[in-house]
Amino acid sequence: MLLERGPFAGSKNMYGGVVYPRILDQFHPNWWEEVPIQRWITRRSTMVLTATQAMTVDFRTQAWGEPPYNGATAYRPDFDHWLAGKAEADGAVLVTSTTALGLLRDEAGRIAGVRTDRPDGDIHADVVIACDGVNSFLAKEADLFGPGQTEAGNYTVGVKETIALPKDVIDERFGVRDREGVDIEILGGTGGVNGGGFLYTNLDTLAVGVVLKLPALGAQPRRPEEIIADLKAHAAIAPLVEGGTIVEYSAHLIPEAGRSMMPRLTTDGMLVAGDAAAMCLAAGIWLEGVNFAMASGIYAGEAAADALRAGDTSAAGLAGYERRLGDTFVLRDHEKLRRAPGLVLSDRVQHHYPQMIANVVERVFRVENPRPKPGFRRIVREERKRAGIGLRDLARDAWAGIRSFG
Amino acid sequence: MSTDVRAATSTIGVCWKWVDVEGDPRRAGVSAADQAALETAFSIAASLDAGTDSSTEITVVALGPVAAEQALRGALAAGAHRAIRIDASAHLPSDRVAAALADALDRVDLVVCGDYSADRGSGSVPAFLAAELDAAQALGLIQISVDGRVTAEGAPVVRALRRLDGGRREQLTVTPPAVLSVEGSVATLRRASLPAELLAKQAAIAVLPGPSAAEQHADTIRPFRPRPRVVPAPVGAGALDRIRALTEAGATVSHGETVTLDPPEAAARILAALREWGYLEP
Ligand SMILES: Cc1cc2nc3c(=O)[nH]c(=O)nc-3n(C[C@H](O)[C@H](O)[C@H](O)COP(=O)(O)OP(=O)(O)OC[C@H]3O[C@@H](n4cnc5c(N)ncnc54)[C@H](O)[C@@H]3O)c2cc1C
Repeated sequence: MLLERGPFAGSKNMYGGVVYPRILDQFHPNWWEEVPIQRWITRRSTMVLTATQAMTVDFRTQAWGEPPYNGATAYRPDFDHWLAGKAEADGAVLVTSTTALGLLRDEAGRIAGVRTDRPDGDIHADVVIACDGVNSFLAKEADLFGPGQTEAGNYTVGVKETIALPKDVIDERFGVRDREGVDIEILGGTGGVNGGGFLYTNLDTLAVGVVLKLPALGAQPRRPEEIIADLKAHAAIAPLVEGGTIVEYSAHLIPEAGRSMMPRLTTDGMLVAGDAAAMCLAAGIWLEGVNFAMASGIYAGEAAADALRAGDTSAAGLAGYERRLGDTFVLRDHEKLRRAPGLVLSDRVQHHYPQMIANVVERVFRVENPRPKPGFRRIVREERKRAGIGLRDLARDAWAGIRSFG
Repeated sequence: MSTDVRAATSTIGVCWKWVDVEGDPRRAGVSAADQAALETAFSIAASLDAGTDSSTEITVVALGPVAAEQALRGALAAGAHRAIRIDASAHLPSDRVAAALADALDRVDLVVCGDYSADRGSGSVPAFLAAELDAAQALGLIQISVDGRVTAEGAPVVRALRRLDGGRREQLTVTPPAVLSVEGSVATLRRASLPAELLAKQAAIAVLPGPSAAEQHADTIRPFRPRPRVVPAPVGAGALDRIRALTEAGATVSHGETVTLDPPEAAARILAALREWGYLEP
């Protein structure tokens, strides 16, 4: 049984906008023929912004625009609704407009189902899979988080505006055709609050938003929508978004700290998956959570089915879940990138490096004849000093970067 | 016609207008008024059955394609006894809808409808339905209670409060057979229990054939618009005079007229006025 508190699957879900559905290959070969997406990402840009500068690394490949594709922008009310329909077709019973209020326990204190907000709403179950999103009340009630794991510093808040523009205008501004789409990840542009920004193309809307570290946001007076407004006014972004109409504004928490904030994932009678288990990968150039949620959901389902067949739904009986997570990208990517969130959100990466890089590039390409071109090494050294970055810090961050991303 | 003796178990009919928005099942459903109608039927049934061993049955009827069954399952989950879908396009004109509903409800003495649907909301189906069933009508109600008396057929006499213009209210005693329509504020549809919700997913929904395809498409669908009003060319010597005549500027025009008439005369007066204003063919 699949419980959803919203009126349909996808009605309550919010994200930036790009899904990576290859995990579905094994269940629904050729899923791309029917998945309700907006555009296939064929252009991916990483943009570094300072107040007046922008440096973009822009990559385009037509390979991502044909089967088996790579990422796609999609609206969650479309995508999740479609995916839930698949689950129903495979025999799941979807019960909507129904909220799980808490856990049921048997006499021995073992988890034995959930209580819902419907009259007569107890559901007795041998296995509960908590995939109730960031702030999972079920995982908290089961006491699966360790000390400090749910501290505000481990979360960012993502806020997003959906801006309507005619499709041909989007095609022209972003240099794409038909179903091709663009994903721009932005470092800087968050008004000094540690975080990042994004800009994605849907068919006839854009998704523009920022992801802001909670304590940093709280420590300054401006509201997230004001920070988005400034991002939209930046010289590098304004020409892309101007003239559009804001049709939606939304906000949602992101478990940002990756592996270090993951709760215990298995207990007697219960598994935790997706954002509930902090499986969102938010590591600067990546912002992926939906694929992690889908995969962990699949593995939780498989492990639960195995445990039911074997008649043992204790933590030991459910051990297949973590084995599957550990064998696949779900935990491997998180293990590998466990230092990345901290690095990406550090003050140096957030504030000092963007300024340094932008200044270096500005000087390298500035022609100041009759002066001859300065040497590249000298520019880097001077700009590093100007940005207040010590050589030792640079070396340490470079090493951390190589270890996380390498 | 009213008696104090409770006769055989009766049925209350509820009509739901299922509306789909651009063919999207996620946004399809029925209006708050339609939901209030079902809850009203539940409370009428509860007062009727209190202290007796009879049980009043509630039948919900909707006209629409298979997708409309989702709404009907919601009605069953909430506690309706029977759900009927009339297989037809949901875009028929109100009189056709009413005729089809009347066929499904011909032995029901009390029918409760919402007084507006989730789309157009002209509230005309209940009136057409009353005409089809040759029943009394009490429309746009904001409060309903049973009066304690029942007809020989076991249908309850209903006391109802109707909203009038100018903040006034009209109190009615309605003797079945009758069609009532209620505003959405009258009641909030109860939440289905979890077991009922699960059962309703599998429940059988009776399907009745609707108007034939030819009948369904007899009328082309067009936006709702009052008929044009024919205005004679303005008379006047100069342009200014003609504009004055056209805009009635400076003229003393009466805006509205209060008449006190018996219902049949009132109806005739309304028809005459509509004809005079060009909304109806002379
Ligand atoms: C601004 C922003 C941008 C992002 N961008 C991306 C991106 O581009 N790509 C990407 O892959 N990821 C992105 N993410 C991350 C992504 O949104 C999450 O990782 C993903 O939604 C996790 O899925 P989930 O199913 O675990 O949780 P959710 O999507 O939060 O779903 C939880 C579900 O459980 C339901 N629920 C909760 N509590 C209960 C209850 N008690 N009873 C019943 N139902 C309940 C909710 O209604 C909801 O449907 C972004 C996140 C944010 C905030």
